[in-house]
Amino acid sequence: MKIKEIKGNAKVGVSMVCVSFSMLFNSCSKFLDIVPDNVSVIEHAFKLRIEAEKYLFTCYSYLPENGDGWFNVGMMSGDEIWLPQNDQAHWHPAFRIAQGMQNKGRPYFNEWGGDLKGGDGRFNYLRIWQAIRHCNIFLETIQEENVAPDLNSFERQRWIGEVEFLKAYYHFYMLRMYGPIPIVDVNASESSEPEDLYYKRMPVDDVVNFISNLLDQAIEKLPERITDENTELGRITKPIALAIKSRVWQLAASPLFNGNTDYIDLVDKDGISLVSTTYDATKWEKARDAAKAAIDIAEANSVKLYTYTNDRYNLSTQTKTQLNIRNAVTERWGDEVVWGLSNSYFVNEALCMPPLARGSNVDRFQLQGVWAAPIKVAKQFYTKNGVPIEEDKTLDFSNYMSTRTAVTSERFYIEPGYVTARLNYDREPRFYASLGFDGGRWYMKDGVTGGSDENGMYVQAKNAERSGVGHFTNWNETGYFIKKLVHWESTTNSTNAPTWKAYPWPEIRLAELYLSYAEALNEVNGGSSEAIAYLDKVRERAGLAGVVSSWTNFSKSPSKFQSQDGLREIIQRERLNELAFEGQRFWDLRRWKLAAEYLNQDITGFTITSKTAAGYNVERNVFNQTFIAPRDYLWPIGNHEIRRNPLLVENPGW
Amino acid sequence: MNGLRLIFITIILSAISTLNSIAQDIKVKGVIRDTTGGIPSVSIKVRGATTLTLSSDGFGRFEFNSKKEAQVDFQSVGFKTATINLANQSINSNNEIILDIFLEKIESEIEEVTVTGFGGTQKKASLVSAITTVNVKELKTASSNLTNALAGRVAGMIAFQSSGEPGLGTDNSTFYIRGLSTFGTGKQDPLILIDGIESSPTDMARLQPDDISDFSVLKDAAAASVYGARGANGVILINTKMGMDGAPKFNFRAENRLSSNTKNLKFADNITYMRMANEAALSRTPNGIEPYTQNKIFSTIDGDDPYLFPSNDWVSMLIKDYTNNQGYNLNISGGTPRGRYYIAGTFNRDNGVLNVEPINNFNSNIKLNNYSLRVNVDFSVTKSTTAIVRMYGQFDDYSGPIGGGARTFDNAMNANPVIFPAIYPASKLPFIEHPLFGSSQTRNTDLTIGSSMYMNPYAEMVKGYQAYKTSNLQPQIEIKQDLNGITEGLSARAMGYLRRYAYSSASRNYTPFYYESIINSQDGSYNLKALNDGSTNALLPTGTEYLGYDTPPSEVDSRIWLEGTINYSRIFAENHAVSGMLVSYISSFESVTGNNLLIETLPSRNAGISGRFTYGFKDRYLAEFNFGYNGSERFDSNHRWGIFPSFGIGYRVSEESFFEPLKSVISNFKIRGTYGLVGNDAIGNSRDRFFYLSNVNLNNGDYGSVFGRDDGAARYSRPGVSISRYANQNITWELSKQLNLGADISIANKLDLIVDVFQQKRSNILQPVSGIDNASGLMASPWSNYGRVNSKGLDLSLNYRKNFSQNFWMDARGTFTYATTEILKVDELPYSDNLSHLTRKGYSINQAWGYVAERLFIDNEEVANSPTQFGDLGLLAGDIKYRDITHDGIIDDDDKVAIGYPTEPEILFGFGSSFGFKNFDFGFFFQGAAQYSFFINSNQIQPFYNYTHPDTGIPGYQTGLLKVIADDYWSESNQDVYAMWPRLSTWRVGPNNQTSTWWMRNGGFLRLKSIDIGYNIKSLEKFKIKNARVYLSGSNLFLLSDFKLWDVEMRGNGLGYPLQSVYNLGIQINL
Repeated sequence: MKIKEIKGNAKVGVSMVCVSFSMLFNSCSKFLDIVPDNVSVIEHAFKLRIEAEKYLFTCYSYLPENGDGWFNVGMMSGDEIWLPQNDQAHWHPAFRIAQGMQNKGRPYFNEWGGDLKGGDGRFNYLRIWQAIRHCNIFLETIQEENVAPDLNSFERQRWIGEVEFLKAYYHFYMLRMYGPIPIVDVNASESSEPEDLYYKRMPVDDVVNFISNLLDQAIEKLPERITDENTELGRITKPIALAIKSRVWQLAASPLFNGNTDYIDLVDKDGISLVSTTYDATKWEKARDAAKAAIDIAEANSVKLYTYTNDRYNLSTQTKTQLNIRNAVTERWGDEVVWGLSNSYFVNEALCMPPLARGSNVDRFQLQGVWAAPIKVAKQFYTKNGVPIEEDKTLDFSNYMSTRTAVTSERFYIEPGYVTARLNYDREPRFYASLGFDGGRWYMKDGVTGGSDENGMYVQAKNAERSGVGHFTNWNETGYFIKKLVHWESTTNSTNAPTWKAYPWPEIRLAELYLSYAEALNEVNGGSSEAIAYLDKVRERAGLAGVVSSWTNFSKSPSKFQSQDGLREIIQRERLNELAFEGQRFWDLRRWKLAAEYLNQDITGFTITSKTAAGYNVERNVFNQTFIAPRDYLWPIGNHEIRRNPLLVENPGW
Repeated sequence: MNGLRLIFITIILSAISTLNSIAQDIKVKGVIRDTTGGIPSVSIKVRGATTLTLSSDGFGRFEFNSKKEAQVDFQSVGFKTATINLANQSINSNNEIILDIFLEKIESEIEEVTVTGFGGTQKKASLVSAITTVNVKELKTASSNLTNALAGRVAGMIAFQSSGEPGLGTDNSTFYIRGLSTFGTGKQDPLILIDGIESSPTDMARLQPDDISDFSVLKDAAAASVYGARGANGVILINTKMGMDGAPKFNFRAENRLSSNTKNLKFADNITYMRMANEAALSRTPNGIEPYTQNKIFSTIDGDDPYLFPSNDWVSMLIKDYTNNQGYNLNISGGTPRGRYYIAGTFNRDNGVLNVEPINNFNSNIKLNNYSLRVNVDFSVTKSTTAIVRMYGQFDDYSGPIGGGARTFDNAMNANPVIFPAIYPASKLPFIEHPLFGSSQTRNTDLTIGSSMYMNPYAEMVKGYQAYKTSNLQPQIEIKQDLNGITEGLSARAMGYLRRYAYSSASRNYTPFYYESIINSQDGSYNLKALNDGSTNALLPTGTEYLGYDTPPSEVDSRIWLEGTINYSRIFAENHAVSGMLVSYISSFESVTGNNLLIETLPSRNAGISGRFTYGFKDRYLAEFNFGYNGSERFDSNHRWGIFPSFGIGYRVSEESFFEPLKSVISNFKIRGTYGLVGNDAIGNSRDRFFYLSNVNLNNGDYGSVFGRDDGAARYSRPGVSISRYANQNITWELSKQLNLGADISIANKLDLIVDVFQQKRSNILQPVSGIDNASGLMASPWSNYGRVNSKGLDLSLNYRKNFSQNFWMDARGTFTYATTEILKVDELPYSDNLSHLTRKGYSINQAWGYVAERLFIDNEEVANSPTQFGDLGLLAGDIKYRDITHDGIIDDDDKVAIGYPTEPEILFGFGSSFGFKNFDFGFFFQGAAQYSFFINSNQIQPFYNYTHPDTGIPGYQTGLLKVIADDYWSESNQDVYAMWPRLSTWRVGPNNQTSTWWMRNGGFLRLKSIDIGYNIKSLEKFKIKNARVYLSGSNLFLLSDFKLWDVEMRGNGLGYPLQSVYNLGIQINL
């Protein structure tokens, strides 16, 4: 009885509770909805042209920062530019590759991994796969006319062309490093299971065809030249796309990927061969045609080899020739630039330039001059007769470390009265334009009041001298400074902080296309005279006589250019000299399969610790460089990537 | 503000005045005793027309007025209740009744109640869940920070302190209930509720033990599941005291605390410093240049001109041996049957151990003043309605050196001691008013002059000060309604509070002028050269004569909370105890602290309904069911609500009749078990709150591009798009399934033992899915709830009490906590068999991975013939040689193995005892930890390393030379391959600084955590003082550990602000 009564009362209580709770509860659901509308989502990125343009720029933003030696793997990872053995050498990722420390545990320039898992933040490698995903999102979305409706169809097509180019270029960038790579033509959904997001590597030939076709699609849509230079210079044009196509086929045709039997065992998990081991001559024809097409359209749009004109300072011919060579690279948007990187100016002038005539400010942070060229690179430049130093029959370089005093007639190259090594005398203008050395003249616009090239600045690089070791924490390891990359109008000659004239990095200039065309011509048609004609254009601007006359008159093997092999050697050396310090040598040596030969030589320099001419001009071993073939021709994909994706195979040797 | 204060004063005054207006018939006084003497705080309930409740004083004395017919109950925990009918007592000539009450001990605490949350309590006897109640008396330690009293005193809590610096949480202990049982970026520490208000560890740190009435720790699912989404990491419940009927009682405590570092780092003398610096310069570059000439070394030995040949002991110059702190606490309580009050005020001052220099008129030592005022008032609105109003205000005023005290220690230990003096005498340049601080242009390793100045730690300390102020206001109202009118045993309760916290800070400093001495070679005297006076070629930063200032962003946050409870509790037919509770709450928290994302500005909200239902038969068979049903704004609407049920059963074997024969030995024996589910919505960090939304930045400058010619006209640039999170609607609660089995045993009414074993299975732990191939190009790793961890352990507490005679008693107690974890699933790659040593699965979540250091290399030939370590080709004899676990000829990430114990202690224990003899009492407590490892940060202590401070960008630091390194390092003359320190270097040799067994140390320790001696002063009636106690206590007095370099509890952070030993002299007065 009593219990029943309680139950009745309890019921009232419980129902009261229920009502109050359910009221609370309904409002609760709203109470928890706190996220306002209009929170930004990816769809907003294509609402209008002004938003879509940001997405276009995002696709561009992943382009390698080749104007910075920290990011341009081609500059610091080979044997062309050396760093001192101080702290920096220990943590410069590109330079560690040069020192033979590439590894698969934590690969340097781990562009495949993109974001190094567990990395220390200093090694932020490019996220190329992300770039490709962005390109795909852009291409999938922008095709629809109702996306960004205020975008006119002409501009829409141009943007599509640009992003198609970028997608192709990013694939090419990976191909050059890793060889066979996945082709990511279509994005997978981010909500897929991890297993559905595994990619496999595709044969090099497939990747090359994919890139080439994509470039062809892009070329149709791209403009021939930039008309609004103030806001668009640096955007992709037809000549750029064709030039990259030429690089793609040049890579595909070169020995590394064309019939390289070293890669006979590089097969994927299904047994498919990833690098063709049989030589295919038609690839060189494609390379030749691509190079020619690029040259034609570039020249049609007034790209030409740079020469220094409008001289205001009454410069000597010698200095002008040097400026022809230096400014071809450093002049902002110069005549020769096919592709200038508006997003990556060259920022390392302070690392190239030593203190020359600076005042009392001894802080060497501003003028470091740490980038050093090994003696073998200095030797590689021609004599003033335009032939290699070991071939010149009129000039003897066998005792290249012997010294003599410079005479007045040499004053535009070497400070008169200065004692320096044989190696620095009687060289081609490119030698003097590219390298600074102990006693070497270094023309800068502010070197002498009025801009004259008489009595200008010169390098003093012995121990405790202004540019020498012992004078600052950073030093030049070999005694050869990289003059070529310093803009002649940068100001360094005062006690004030230097003002650097940075320049958009010339990723492709016309001289490269000439040399590529010559190379392909010679491969298709050995000893081609048209190849020699294009070589001579480059040589002429560098102040040298043509190949035929130079070899005939001065070389110990005067008919070298007549054979395919001989001309190949000439073309390769011409290319190394012309494009020195521009980040090309590293890739060219790999493509030619010559890296094992070149990168197994010692890195040498002058005896920089000496204070006397006699002691200084002695070749000194700096580093025993090693290159393990075929392992080091391709990047390691890395343990992390290999372990998580069961479809991936690692490159040989790693 | 003023209005508010007025209202409170009115409330308090009216409470006091009602108290005096009640007239009574007869005065009753006397003392309540047990075999050992007066029993303090006995609850006295006078049952009459109006029920009066009061309690005895510190000596068991009491006094009240009453009607003559009243019945009086004397109740105290652990004693049988005595009931006296006043009508039966004789009245003396003064119209007084004098009582001498003797309470019989029941020697077991089964009648005690335990606070279980949401205003609920449960009899300890009928409890089935794992709840530790902490004796508040034990929390009274010499530290002013309550969190530092917890280690070893609470069974089931892992706590440790790693810094002794007074400040905003800097000297707090870190604590976890039953260890750290989840990984990732979410909330891992327990929920702290003070009077039901969600509070921070610092709020808890500032709480005074005097004001606490209950302190309990909810450890298992059955206890915590009513907290649903917030209870997964355990709950700490603290209630503050309320007033009781009776005349105003004053309780005053004053303390003076002497504080000094538990252990000081020992540095080598400056001559050794110079000689070893010379050695280091040559050690890896044979043609390097020695930084100190023999002439300088000999002149320093000879003690020549101290300004030309300085030899500074920065630590003793900057750090004092001890400091003095004060604490005052006053509380007043009392009330009438209609209203009761408890008012407490606290003032604490904690000073740092930094020296104060008379150079400036500002004090750059740490000074933390902390004030709080607590007003708890409850009053009967109607016969069945009680309202409770609590006001609490907590305020910090801090001033200290720029960057805090730890920075000063850091500076003192990382400054060059021999190149410059702290300061030159002002007489040297009489026309200059600013202090002439010493410094010098830095030297590069080749001794060429660098571009910056050496850091002068003295100047850094005195150049300015920073101050912050915090305020925390918490008004709270609670209404209790008795609903016996509906049905007996039914009641309802509503509570709401608002909490506002504000922090603001400012720093003021000048830029010191530095001077360098130039020797006059003629007469050996010196002149001063200004280094940074702003002249041409002067160094930077240029000194200033005046103060500059900086105001870091302020922090403001606000929480509002509303809860309603319905309680039902009744015993049917004497044997069936039934209770139920339903609670519903909503909460909203907003913070505008350092927001840089839209979503961070949005409020955090929770809502939920919880319930608890218990049933007990004859106090013998016990059952309980709990649930929490919670919503969180963080999840997609389909996953927003989670239900967290739990149940428990208990069996009091000792109540069975068959147990009767054993009862004289085992007076109480209960076994119990609970199982349930608890959740956690605080997963991921606050920037990642809404996992169901993507996080897209449509204006990211890092992903933009620039085009254009750059000749005159501006170039055209646009920002780009980045994605830092992909939307995932499926992300939801982290879950914790907890099983607890426990037993409560009392032996011979003297020894109480409580044992709990637990197992916890965490699942749905938020983890990135990083197994996705990079070629997919995702900008961010998707996240998902898939991590799983098991943890298990044991908590044990033991209490013993014995009275040897009327005048001599002792008690002893101990706790033991063991908690360990095992990862079942975590974000990691599927490793092949030969790399299985990299797998984290199966290990503790705090397991460290590192290299196995074998010894130092014997010679360079061994280096050349050993595996390449981390690609470093520059290693030499005396560098650390690691084991090639994978036998692949290189040492890299793959060679890491699990090394040592976990980095958080798995075992924490404490034990102590107290004695009383007549008016004296004496107590001590030891505390210890075991089963954990830590790693010396070798980067931090590498001597002679020049660096720029990573936080401040101030250059010119040079690491000091620890004596232990100077005494035992590898050198050409001491080619000890087991030396403490490897080959010297002036730069950081990466391979030597890896996490490895070389730097691993055992963290186990035992310390005398506290000791106290007290004396009760009686016969102070003529001063109207009921009771006074003077006491001397100390904390962190003595430490036993294998590790001697610094206080082992600081672990790897040895150069920080040390833990403090405190000697405390106090007096407590009750009026």
